[in-house]
Amino acid sequence: MRGLAVFTGKELTEILRTWRLFVIPGILLFTGLMSPVLAEIAPGLVSSMMPDETQGIVIEIPPATTVDAYLQFNKNAMQIALIAVIIATAGAVATERRSGTAQLVLAKPVSRGAMVVAKTLSNWLLLLAASVVSAGLCAAITTFMFDSTLLGRFAAAVGLWYLLAVLMVAVSVFLSVVTNSQAGAAGAGIALYFALTIASVWEVTRTYTPAGLLGAGTDILTGAPEVSVAWPIATTIVAAFAFVVAAAWAFGRQEL
Amino acid sequence: MRAAIEIEGLTKVYKEVRALDGLDLLVPEGSVFGFLGPNGAGKTTALRILTGMARPTSGGARVFGHNVVNASKDVRALVGFLPDVPGYYSWMTAEEFLRFAGRLFGVTGKTLDDRVKSLLDMAGLAGVKQRVGGFSRGMRQRLGVAQALVNAPKLLMLDEPTSALDPMGRKDVLEMIAALKGRTTVFFSTDILTDVERVCDTVAILDHGRIVRQASIQELKREGHALRVLVEVIERAEELEPLLAARPWAMECQRDGQVVRCVVSDIEAARQDIPAIVAAENMAIVRMLDEEPTLEDVFVQLIGGGA
Repeated sequence: MRGLAVFTGKELTEILRTWRLFVIPGILLFTGLMSPVLAEIAPGLVSSMMPDETQGIVIEIPPATTVDAYLQFNKNAMQIALIAVIIATAGAVATERRSGTAQLVLAKPVSRGAMVVAKTLSNWLLLLAASVVSAGLCAAITTFMFDSTLLGRFAAAVGLWYLLAVLMVAVSVFLSVVTNSQAGAAGAGIALYFALTIASVWEVTRTYTPAGLLGAGTDILTGAPEVSVAWPIATTIVAAFAFVVAAAWAFGRQEL
Repeated sequence: MRAAIEIEGLTKVYKEVRALDGLDLLVPEGSVFGFLGPNGAGKTTALRILTGMARPTSGGARVFGHNVVNASKDVRALVGFLPDVPGYYSWMTAEEFLRFAGRLFGVTGKTLDDRVKSLLDMAGLAGVKQRVGGFSRGMRQRLGVAQALVNAPKLLMLDEPTSALDPMGRKDVLEMIAALKGRTTVFFSTDILTDVERVCDTVAILDHGRIVRQASIQELKREGHALRVLVEVIERAEELEPLLAARPWAMECQRDGQVVRCVVSDIEAARQDIPAIVAAENMAIVRMLDEEPTLEDVFVQLIGGGA
């Protein structure tokens, strides 16, 4: 795969010097920063909207806890951040083709697959760094506002989120290749995300496919008994690599 | 002489459109070769196949003996290429882009440093710290030629490198190409005839996906059946021009003051007719002479005026 190191270096430099540094990391950092705060103020907000006791109804909202802070983070990451990941990576290859940069650099003796893999790898690295920083920030604020329990469970939930994000990047890059359109790839990627959400309703798909990762973080954080994620983890990793290979193969066969 | 490019029966069909129709071409090593044709003739398609960006429907092509389909990477290692609309990473500087392009060829270390420095000088971009996103069209084309040379290619392929440039930008790019004469084979496509006349030694004229003629520029002009005849009269040249243009041997006539220039298909008939027409109209000839045809005259004749 000639050119992989050069392409990856270029992608990482591009991340550091363009908008790409701010979008996904920005959303994740905001999630890390705001999740404990939202968890803390949510009960007060809900209480303020309740009918008062003179009407004879008394609903007691329990005070926020550590698990609420981490659940808030997990929910935001699984929804807002994952969709942002799909949109931000949907143009990975399509933009290069449309701007003419692909034609210029791929006329050199490099592999087209190297370009696809470099784009995927660089996004995986960006997400890894952003996830670690964001989760670390969330854990630090949660520890300060609540306590330092559940750190292990939170790390496991973030790990599962990262795996799902890895799959979504691979899917998005594949769609970017086959649709040759950022909007088309983003639309198809979001549709696939919702299909995965629907699939998580059924026992079989929840047990054996990546759909199982969508709710696994919540189960782990709430201490549900017997959370089995071996199959979803395995199928997510296999699917992610399969999408990368398919993207490289499809790009190699296309005319530029 | 060894061939840099050999194309045999190359055909490319896009749905209903036959972009290349059995193209045959031989580009000698060391030449500055003009690949000339009107818009839509198939020039870009041929270049895309040579660089591995597209696959032929049938036929084949070799670059320095390497098959462009089966050994595309070997071909690309020997070639420098500038597409018709080069895209750059707007956040890079010219120097960064040249270094990036060099590394894609596996050029590193001092060789890369030296090459980048000399190419920046050659392209007039030395010391330019501005990012490529802010470059003028001329700067982008000069950078395009420079990046195509970063691997010291045996063959430089340029797709319409001067199109859409202002006169100064065109002059700069043509000077860069002319400076490469004798150093590498240059194959460049264009529909600008004066560019070909200025820098090329050999030319192939492409029309509807086929080569209409391939020869040296001098040979083309010599062989060209089209000749120009210049007639200068004392007065009433505006009346003479339509009379000449109506003759069967006249392919195209233009008037400039009291001078009428006609591209003619039959020089003998023109030589006999013109004095007779002038005399019949009671005009007086100041001078009448044959002019060497320009490449444009030959082009118009070969393409049938459809360009």
